[in-house]
Amino acid sequence: MAEGATSHNSVNETIGILLARNASNHGSNIAMREKERGIWKESTWREYSEDVLACAAGLEKIGVKPGKAVLILGDNRARLYGGMLAISLLGAYAMPAYPGATLDELQHFLGEADIVAAIAEDQEQVDKILEIRDAGASGIEHIIYDETRGLGFYEDDGLMSWDHLIEIGLHDLNEIPSRREELLHRAGPDDPAIFLHSSGTTGKPKGIVLSQKNVLTAAKNGHDAGAFGEDEDILAYLPMAWVGDYAITVAAALRYRFTVNVPERQETVVRDMREIAPTFYLAAPRSWDQMLTTIQVGMEDSTPLKKWLYHFFMDRAIAAETRKLNGKSGGALEPLGRLLGEALVFGPIKDQFGMSRLKSAFTGGEAIGEDTFVFYRALGIKLRQLYGQTEISAISAIQAPNEVRLHTVGTPAPGVEVKIDDSGQIMLRSNSVFSGYFNKPEASAEALQDGWLLTGDAGYLEENGQLVVLGRVSEVMYTAGGERYVPNYIENRLKFSPYIKDAAVLGSGLDELTAMVCVDFEAVGHWAEVNGVPYVSYADLSQRDEVATLLREAFSRVNKAVTEPLQLKRFVSLPKEFDPDDGEITRTRKLRRKVVQERYADVIAALYDGSKEVHVSAQVTYETGEVGKVEKNLPIREV
Amino acid sequence: MFYRLSGVHHANYVSDSRIFKVPADRNLAIFIFLFGLAAPFLLPSLYLNSYMLPWLIWTAAALGLNLVTGWAGQLHLGYAAVMAVGAYSAIHAARFGVPWEFALIIGGLASSVIGSLFAFAALRVKGLYLALTTLAMQFVMDWVLTHSPAISGGSHASLQSPTLALLGQDITSDTGYYYVAFGWCVLVTIFMLNLKRTGLGRALVAVREKDFAAAILGVNSFYYKILAFAASSFIAGVSGALLVATFFFLAAPEQFSVAVSIQVLAMVIVGGLGSIIGSYLGVALILLVPGLVNGIVAGGSQSLGMQINVETLAHIPNAVYGALIVIILLIEPLGLGKLYGNIRDYLMVWPFDQLRK
Repeated sequence: MAEGATSHNSVNETIGILLARNASNHGSNIAMREKERGIWKESTWREYSEDVLACAAGLEKIGVKPGKAVLILGDNRARLYGGMLAISLLGAYAMPAYPGATLDELQHFLGEADIVAAIAEDQEQVDKILEIRDAGASGIEHIIYDETRGLGFYEDDGLMSWDHLIEIGLHDLNEIPSRREELLHRAGPDDPAIFLHSSGTTGKPKGIVLSQKNVLTAAKNGHDAGAFGEDEDILAYLPMAWVGDYAITVAAALRYRFTVNVPERQETVVRDMREIAPTFYLAAPRSWDQMLTTIQVGMEDSTPLKKWLYHFFMDRAIAAETRKLNGKSGGALEPLGRLLGEALVFGPIKDQFGMSRLKSAFTGGEAIGEDTFVFYRALGIKLRQLYGQTEISAISAIQAPNEVRLHTVGTPAPGVEVKIDDSGQIMLRSNSVFSGYFNKPEASAEALQDGWLLTGDAGYLEENGQLVVLGRVSEVMYTAGGERYVPNYIENRLKFSPYIKDAAVLGSGLDELTAMVCVDFEAVGHWAEVNGVPYVSYADLSQRDEVATLLREAFSRVNKAVTEPLQLKRFVSLPKEFDPDDGEITRTRKLRRKVVQERYADVIAALYDGSKEVHVSAQVTYETGEVGKVEKNLPIREV
Repeated sequence: MFYRLSGVHHANYVSDSRIFKVPADRNLAIFIFLFGLAAPFLLPSLYLNSYMLPWLIWTAAALGLNLVTGWAGQLHLGYAAVMAVGAYSAIHAARFGVPWEFALIIGGLASSVIGSLFAFAALRVKGLYLALTTLAMQFVMDWVLTHSPAISGGSHASLQSPTLALLGQDITSDTGYYYVAFGWCVLVTIFMLNLKRTGLGRALVAVREKDFAAAILGVNSFYYKILAFAASSFIAGVSGALLVATFFFLAAPEQFSVAVSIQVLAMVIVGGLGSIIGSYLGVALILLVPGLVNGIVAGGSQSLGMQINVETLAHIPNAVYGALIVIILLIEPLGLGKLYGNIRDYLMVWPFDQLRK
């Protein structure tokens, strides 16, 4: 597979070798910072490596070996990251799951691989594992937990604290002096680094095993493409089961000695981010949108002078940035406005959000709205797009800092080859491409052809080498009139409105396009407060006429951007948000079209049969796992 | 806008309990300190010894009163009397031949002993009764001073202060006096800044908020009240002694009359209870603004060619100055310190209106 242009980017390092190198050459640099009770507890590479080794020795004692898997369950914790590395040292599968994963989803994982142990964050996650164990998964013999609170009186078999595991491991390490060396050099480049899952927009998630060579090559590709340098400060806040988090927080951090900062809790991420002020930040477009909404709402609530200053500088900066995107140059006073704006408005805003030290800021996973994109560029944050898949260890193409276009995702990273097949599908080849879905030869054969990865994305290469991604090949649909469209493309444009959180565009095989949307509770709720629109709940707010007017504006904006036959004619605002717990979207918030079409069949029918109103009873899964219903009459709105 | 907080994190509790957590605050403090150091070279000597020097000494004194009134919450109307004890003791000691370093400490200790002895009796009552008792102390002290020639030299006499000498060095120049006052004020300020983050400071605040609630928490409120009086009296004593040694050069009973007590209390209240920067601002307002207003009114009437008779001219500044205090307390009842805090908060959340949740 490693031939031609890609061969020079092959790395023969392993996680163990890199860990040993960091511990010996940069032993006193900070590897991990974890916030606990307001204090950032630091551990150096030497300490971190010792912890990983002890954990590996301990895991081996309790029966973790190649071919077996260990479930990682919880929010980002330094110890869970250490545990993943330890599992890689042993050549076993580290299998992270989303902390919000339901029992069904976990059951699916169990069916795939031989899970012998689990490392859990706290009591909540331990309870979950105990529950699936009671349901028949007796293979999980050991459960290791990080946070001891609430677990003092648990007497279940195989339950042990992290400290106890380390104790076992240290005892073992100290008995045989050569164990450390041996553990660090045991696994080879082709041994597994991580066991991830595809997002599963269609059907069950597929297992994806990335080897140590895959993930470390991806890290090198990213570095060579200029995504990050050495010794970056990063915030580990992305879900651990997402490939983006592994590629940056584990692989790149190991290879380029980042300091990984783990926030205290999910709820404190914003504050912790300000305290750390990372130099590298990767977020989904949704997070950037959210932050933009927070800034805008905050500014609207501000005092007149501050508001005036903000608009004065921001409006000019946005205009200047838009001109730049369109290839025009600005006026003579532009640099002056930039300078003053930076001191008075942009700098303080960046400071409030911990973005003042950012060297590289990335958005990835989905298309980003022009407004959002331009806003951050105007703020002085060099936001760039990143394109990648789980199958290629997250990094395929990256925009260079000074050649940013909205419609492209940048040039392919060094070490990644791109080819467009006859059907217009993007194909990729690199040493970071995985070697096939876990135990799914047919699916693997479909995805890999002669070492090329079929991404399933439609796209093309521009003459200057920039890659353009259009959307999923499987999602190209046709109306009854034969008009070709990509629903995801239109949905993304709808979602660029701050008031729309999720959207599902309908019309495949039908005369015209319509849509179901979920309003953004925070943004619309605030808008309602400011404009004196009374509401009692999400279900109530989403159906108000005033809100419908607001949504209509967003629709007409989208309609202006698409051709006549693809204009959206009617829409329904749903009385509940799409929720991964209800299966309507994946944990990475991608639409599960089939589920949505089944569940809202009545609504879809009503959108096309000319009715004025439709009764809907939507299913809601509560955090306890109970299922409830939301009943509501929804008016059908004309755009 | 000036307050940048991103990237400020603490890897241990020692760093988390620093005096200045915000870099901008620390920079401001350093700037003010450097300005204070360089003042003799920047300001003409008139300004130095008739404005800066009394300002610094009165600030040290006001901080002492703030300790007992702002932190421990005990109203004190006899503060000038305590200062008098320190001033007379120190000068007598110095005249007796004790080196000034020790004489100042003797002054402080004498104040401390008398202040806390008195507090023993006074603290049996609370609130307004305590205020009245401290006022009684003021009158007792006035009476003692005017009626015991051994201490003050008699009712209309004054006591010459010997030449100030510290570390074997005679201090006679304006610059020298200024630095002595500056050094003392810095010492007291550092003490007060640290007080906030010690167990003692927290205990005092607990006593202030509700003494019996503090007692329930295990804080011996009587003990801490006495301690507050003792520490505050020490500061008062040394400040009183330095006031005489560097500014008045002779001690007379009317320098420490009840009016002065009220004035120091006014400095603390206008400045803001429990606020350190407030004490500086409060003293500046009470001490320096009358002169300033005087100058403005006189200069203004002259340049406008108005013929105002001398008596009116003397009263206008007083009226303006009184009005100024009323206006400030109307705008912000918590004083100038809080006013500064409001401006700081406004800039701290810039360009937003409030802290993001």
